[in-house]
Amino acid sequence: MPVVEVDLITKKYGSFTALDNISFKVEKGDFFGCFGPNGAGKSTLLKIMTGQIQPTGGRCSVLGLDPSASSIEVKKAIGIVPEVESPPSYLTASEFLQFVCSIRKVDDADKRIDYWMDFFDLAESKGTLCRDLSKGMRQKVMLSAAFIHEPKLLFLDEPFINLDPIYQHKLKDYLLALRDEGRTVFLCSHILETAQKLCHNVIILDHGHLALNSSIEAITSKGEDLETAFLRLVGSVYAKPS
Amino acid sequence: MPSLLKLMMLEEYRLHVSHSSRRMFMAMPIYVFVLTFFFAGSFPNLQTGMPLSDMLTLALGGVFIYGVSVGAFGFMGHTDIERRYGKVNLIIAMPFLLPLSFRSTFFGMYLRDTIFYTILILGPAFCGVLLASVFAHYALISCLMLFSSMFLAFLFGISLSFAISVLYTRSSAAFGVAVAAFGALMAGFGIFHAYPLGYIIPPIGLELSSTPFMHDPGAVLLYLTVSVIAVILFTTFAVLMVKQEYESTKSQYVEVFSRYKLMTKFAGSYQTLLAKEFVDIIRSGMLKKIGFAYVAPLLFLSFTTWYVNNGLKIPVGFNSVFYAGMVGFFGVMLYSWLTNIDLTDYFETLPVNVPSVIKAKLIAFFILTSIISTIFVLGISVLNNEMRLLWLALPVLYITGAYMVLATAYLTGLSTNSFLFDPNIMMKFTAMALVPDFGITMLSLSIDSSPLISAAGIGVVLVFVSAFSWYFYRGLERKWARQAFT
Repeated sequence: MPVVEVDLITKKYGSFTALDNISFKVEKGDFFGCFGPNGAGKSTLLKIMTGQIQPTGGRCSVLGLDPSASSIEVKKAIGIVPEVESPPSYLTASEFLQFVCSIRKVDDADKRIDYWMDFFDLAESKGTLCRDLSKGMRQKVMLSAAFIHEPKLLFLDEPFINLDPIYQHKLKDYLLALRDEGRTVFLCSHILETAQKLCHNVIILDHGHLALNSSIEAITSKGEDLETAFLRLVGSVYAKPS
Repeated sequence: MPSLLKLMMLEEYRLHVSHSSRRMFMAMPIYVFVLTFFFAGSFPNLQTGMPLSDMLTLALGGVFIYGVSVGAFGFMGHTDIERRYGKVNLIIAMPFLLPLSFRSTFFGMYLRDTIFYTILILGPAFCGVLLASVFAHYALISCLMLFSSMFLAFLFGISLSFAISVLYTRSSAAFGVAVAAFGALMAGFGIFHAYPLGYIIPPIGLELSSTPFMHDPGAVLLYLTVSVIAVILFTTFAVLMVKQEYESTKSQYVEVFSRYKLMTKFAGSYQTLLAKEFVDIIRSGMLKKIGFAYVAPLLFLSFTTWYVNNGLKIPVGFNSVFYAGMVGFFGVMLYSWLTNIDLTDYFETLPVNVPSVIKAKLIAFFILTSIISTIFVLGISVLNNEMRLLWLALPVLYITGAYMVLATAYLTGLSTNSFLFDPNIMMKFTAMALVPDFGITMLSLSIDSSPLISAAGIGVVLVFVSAFSWYFYRGLERKWARQAFT
């Protein structure tokens, strides 16, 4: 049974159609990538799947639950890294993780907080409010908050953004380990080279339409990499004049 | 500056429209116009209970307080700047990126709100009074004079608030001195009645020196000049005091969240959210803001009430019970601030819904206001020698306070500031607020002449108000459960 099932999802904002009849499935243990140019509808799709916004049409199932009707239950079971790194302004990184653990009722919270503070080198900012952290540090806080309860299913919207190359590498290794453990990850990203190494299956969105739903294997078997396929499908701006 | 101001006006307009609709936003002046028309038209009838001069003093005092609440740009600007990395990215933060000064953006904010509120509220209110004058036969010159006084009272409030709030960004000690000085001036008027209220708020002196109250062109000219000079001085001072560099101080903080969580155990399932609310309240400096813009208006109301009763010797019967009912109104402002301390986007990543966060804020609200409001009602009872009425005043305070904030939370959720600009919501809010408050006010006026009937009547109102409070509380889940935080 798929852990995520999206069936003819449509999202409209007035007369603007952000998503138009999108359908796909994510199987358990799948590392699933979602790509597309700016404004293609990736974040909107992720928000619908995580119960943050309601679709205009179609249905969606996450871990057997309808995110529109049971968003709290869905959020209990998943981890989310949002597109904007916005931890609460007046808590320190450690306090925010305590807050998250308390809301999620995480056992051995102190141990886990120490682990993630250490993993992302957040300990050096102990006592600094999140509003005073750099963008990269705030992204590390949001990543820690999404990983701390070890969810079975993760939704990551641009997780590498604002991270320096060292932490991009460290995060990539962590995600590879998750993939090997068989955990399910839904990833939205613009970094196609890294995504190709991580993902089993991908979709490409363009102006709210599904331009591709394929496995990485199927793409590479045609002698293409993800970036080439992406540019061929949605990158008409790069097409050479005939 | 004109092009910057134009953009800031457009930004403010779009911000408000994004929370309702263009049509609803445009209906706001019509709503104000209609409301003022009916109020102004009923002035002659109301005069049997209270002289026109006192009604206008209270109205101008109200406009002044409104200006004070609008003009705390020192606090608001700072908040907006700090949010530049959030979803709300406002022009006021542009000096970080563009060759603009914070002085110009803060001054733009001041001009923007002055124009905005004049067009949206004061202008339509004046038109309402003008139309009412046709039926109630007010002299045109009196209407023009009233509008001038109201406009100046608003400017006086907004510029004073601008100056004092900017002072806070420079020195909290200087800010404390300024607030204490204002409190002392109010005490000089209220307790010692050493001078008239017009000496502290010159536009009130301006109104009371002109027709139909007096015909003293010299006093009118003097009050007008003082008002204009004060507005110019406060504004100039505020603009000059705006910091040229807004760098976060990056202070180091002792971790307190787990300690606060232990202290909020009584809140049950809201323990974690409430602990976070209190960390936010303390670290955001909101307590100082409460001191300035919550306690100061309460002080003003206390002294005015006391002065009308004892200074003017007008037997209008303002008493602790009436006052307790009034305090509930100020609570709405405090709830609005609680919803505006920080962005709430991160809640989208957690298994928490909007009603839970609203309820945590309501608990924080009750803890904060029950202490402050009780002190004020006790104070006003001592000042008016009405300790005998406390048995009724305190339940009125708690029940009406709870009713007002629950009605506000039910109607506006976590976007109180924005939704109160939606005329549809504003109309519902006015109806919900005015009906019980009118009942309590009327009944409280006869507490000394017919204590039994008055207390029984107030008791009935409180029972209804409690029932509605319960309805609003239960309705929070139904109304806001599917609402997104972003």
